Parts: sequence; C-alpha cells; structure tokens
Amino acid sequence: MAQTNKNRRGQMPSRGQTASRGQTALSTADKIAPVILVLGAILSVLGFVLAFTIAPPVNGARVDGIAIIGDQMVGNQMLFSQKIFYFHMPVAITSFLALGVAAFYEIRYLMTKDSDYDLKAHLATEVSLVFVVMVMFSGEMWERFEWGVWWTWDPRLTTYFILMLLVIGYFVLRAAVDDPEKRASYASVFGIITFIDVPICFMITRLVPSSVHPTIFRTDSGLSTEMMIPLMCAMFGMLFISYGLFRWRLRTERAQEELDRMKQTLDE
Amino acid sequence: MARSVQVKTPSTFTEYKILLGKDLRREFRTKEMLTSMGIYSILVLVVYGAALSQSSQGVDVLQMSGGLLWALIVFTSLLGLNRSFEHEKENGCLDGLLLVPMDRSVIFLAKATSNLLFMLVVEVIAVPLYFFFFLTGAPVSDSWPLLVWPLIVGTIGMAGIGTLLSTITVNTRGKDVMLAVLFIPLIFPLLYACVSAATVVLVGGDWQTTYLTSLALAGGYDVIMLLLSWVLYGYVISA
Repeated sequence: MAQTNKNRRGQMPSRGQTASRGQTALSTADKIAPVILVLGAILSVLGFVLAFTIAPPVNGARVDGIAIIGDQMVGNQMLFSQKIFYFHMPVAITSFLALGVAAFYEIRYLMTKDSDYDLKAHLATEVSLVFVVMVMFSGEMWERFEWGVWWTWDPRLTTYFILMLLVIGYFVLRAAVDDPEKRASYASVFGIITFIDVPICFMITRLVPSSVHPTIFRTDSGLSTEMMIPLMCAMFGMLFISYGLFRWRLRTERAQEELDRMKQTLDE
Repeated sequence: MARSVQVKTPSTFTEYKILLGKDLRREFRTKEMLTSMGIYSILVLVVYGAALSQSSQGVDVLQMSGGLLWALIVFTSLLGLNRSFEHEKENGCLDGLLLVPMDRSVIFLAKATSNLLFMLVVEVIAVPLYFFFFLTGAPVSDSWPLLVWPLIVGTIGMAGIGTLLSTITVNTRGKDVMLAVLFIPLIFPLLYACVSAATVVLVGGDWQTTYLTSLALAGGYDVIMLLLSWVLYGYVISA
C-alpha cells in the first residue's frame, strides 16, 4: 500500500493551504451557500403556499389514473391530503440526489484516500438522512390520511424504509470505528453498497406496477400546469436547501478541524 | 552446491484452493462453526414450535413456511458470519495472509466459498428438520423440490455480502450487533424475492410466473452484490 502512504502525505499540503488562507478568504461556494439556502427556503415556502392556492384539489388519488387503493375504489371526494405530495416528492428526489453525491465522494475517497472526500461523503449522507426522515414523516401522514393505514409493505415504502435503515447503519458504523482511516474506508464501502438501493427504490414503481405509488418522474406525468408550478418550486427549493446545508456543514467542519489543529499547535 | 532456487508463483486458482482448504481443514478439526450454527438452527425451530403451537397446524403454517424458513436461515447465517473472521484475528493470521503477494479478491472468494459451504451444510440439516417438525401433516404442493433453487441463490448472495460485511464489522466495536445492523437491511431485497419463490413452490397453485420472476430478481441481486463486494473487498481488508 505504498500508494496509500504517498497519498496520505500528499493530502497534508492541501490542509495546510486551507489553513494559510485562514478565515478571511472563503471559497466562492462557501460565499454563495447562505444565499442559496435562503433562496431555497423562499422557493420551498412559495411552493408550499402555491400548493394550497393555485393547485386544484384532486379527486381521490387520481393523479396518474390509479383508482384502486388498498383493495377499494377511492371515492370522488376532494382529497386535501394530496397537498402533502408537493412536499413529499421533492424531498424524496433530493434525498436520492444527496445519496448520489455521497456515493460519488465515497468512490473518490477510495480512489485517492484523501480524507477531505470522506468528510464530504459523511456530510452529504448527513444531509440525506435529514431528507430521508422528512420523506418518511410526510409519507407516513399521507398513508394515514389517504390510504387509511399506518403501514403497508408496498414495494416502494419497503425499499425506502430499508434505505433509511441503511443510512442510519452508515452512521452506526462510523461511530463504531476509532481509527480515522479505517472508518473512512469502511464507511465509503458501505455507502457505495447502500447506494444500490437508490435506483431500486426509484425504479420499483416502474418494475412492479401494482405499487400504489404513481410514476410521477417522467415526461408526461399527468400533472396540470397549476400542479407543476408548486411542485417545481418546492423541488428546486429543496435542492437549494440541501446544497446550502451541505456547504454550511462543510464550512463548520473545516473550521472545527482548523481549531483542533491550532489547539494542538498551542499545546506543543 | 550452488543451485539456483526456483520460485514458482502459484496460479490464482491454486491460491484460492489453498485458502479454502485452510478454512475447511480448520472447521473439520474444531467443528466450531457447524456445531454452533446447527444447534442454533435447532433452537430456532424449538422457538417456532412454541410460537406456532396455537395456530391450526397445516394450512396456516404452510402459508408462512417460506418466511419462517428464511428467518431461520438469516439468523443462523448471522451467527456463522460473525464468527468467520473471529479466528483470523487470532495470532495475527489475517496480517499473515495480507503479507502474501496475491490479489485481495482471492481472499474474498475463498472466504465467501467457505461461508457458503457451511451455510449450505446447516441448511441441509435444518430444512428437512423444519419439514419434519411442521409440514408432515400439511398439504405441501408437489413442486416442493424446486425449493432448492431459492435456497441456493439466496445463500450465495448472503454469503457474498456477509463476507464483505463481516470483514468490516470484525474491526468495529460491538461487532455482533453491527453485523446485523448492516446485513439485514442490505439483504432485504434478496430475502423478499427468496421468500416469495419459496412460498409459491410450497403452497402450489399457479406458481410458475412468480417463481421465475422472484428467482430472476434474486439472481440479479446476487450478481450485482457479488461483483460489488468483490471489487470493494480489497479496500476493506487492507484498511
């Protein structure tokens, strides 16, 4: 593993660089991160408000032509709980993307053994956990009010539930290893395997048509323009929020690292 | 006496055979894994006996058989996988293995094969016992011999992922729980497919389509996971 050692030494200058730049010089990404976070918050709120104002109420669950839910025809009553959808789906897509970003950094870590990638992968998974929990929470409300059950082993629900367990498992694994290098390698490998569940979860409504989840993410989604606008607002809002959170956490972690290094220098 | 020393690099297959032989020889001498896994599987059956004692024997149990059988296999495998790397840590055996200039994936293949063999041996004992205890009076479909395929496909996948994960967890704190935390969610799709395939052949009826779809799903999952574990193994074991 001579290569590993070389890279481990190679990573030191990059850390030193960050230190020499100090607090005054922030990278462009760090500078725009708060702006993006605020923009994301505004867009999400806008999407949320529009979902209640311009989006028409929906007959039953007839978003995509699925009429039989839980072995019974859903009546023609206007379903208010469908509004959860404008929140639920953007958050779900964002959680998938965050996990994809994490998987990318995990692969980069295994290629380079640069601990910065491990940090980024860790933070991206952290952000994705927030979104995964939000998806489970909003999905749970939807389930209760629209399908009338607390839980059903529907294919997508099941695969998403597993995804949540895997993401939690990632953090349990990190907490159980002391050596930073081992922790980074193990977590990266586990994160990459975890990512396998993302395409499965994404594709399952296409593979198993009996699923109660309609296929929304396609060119002819069956959504009217009035429904599309709040959806897109919320979608971009959530994506911006996730990016903002990620950069913010990264900045905090780097500042913490620098502080630790300063303390160490002072002790010496 | 100045004879040149001939050094012949063994082929990858020879390395594989030697590593596998080491694991099997160790097991034949100590019988550590097989006895613990075998006894554990019988104990799970005893627990099932109590758990199912209030259900009407026969049809009820038959419907659940696929699931119960796989629950038994998952928990028994967890026990075996947990121990599979334990003895490699003793006396620095793993460090010795890593000093040998060979491809790391050979270690993975050998270890996965030995785990697979142990799990299959335990299944050969546990599955007939399950039939003996719970299904002798049940209207089992004639297609029951096809149960073999989901068992084999499922066990291959579990041995593959389990080997990778147990290599990770052997170095962590609280390793017994850690393996379960990582292993069970990861094999869930495989488990789901295998349970549905096992159930339809036991219950009978119109089973062909479900059986083949489930087996194809399980097989696909096996291929993806085994390839991924094989590729990633080097990073795990030399970390």
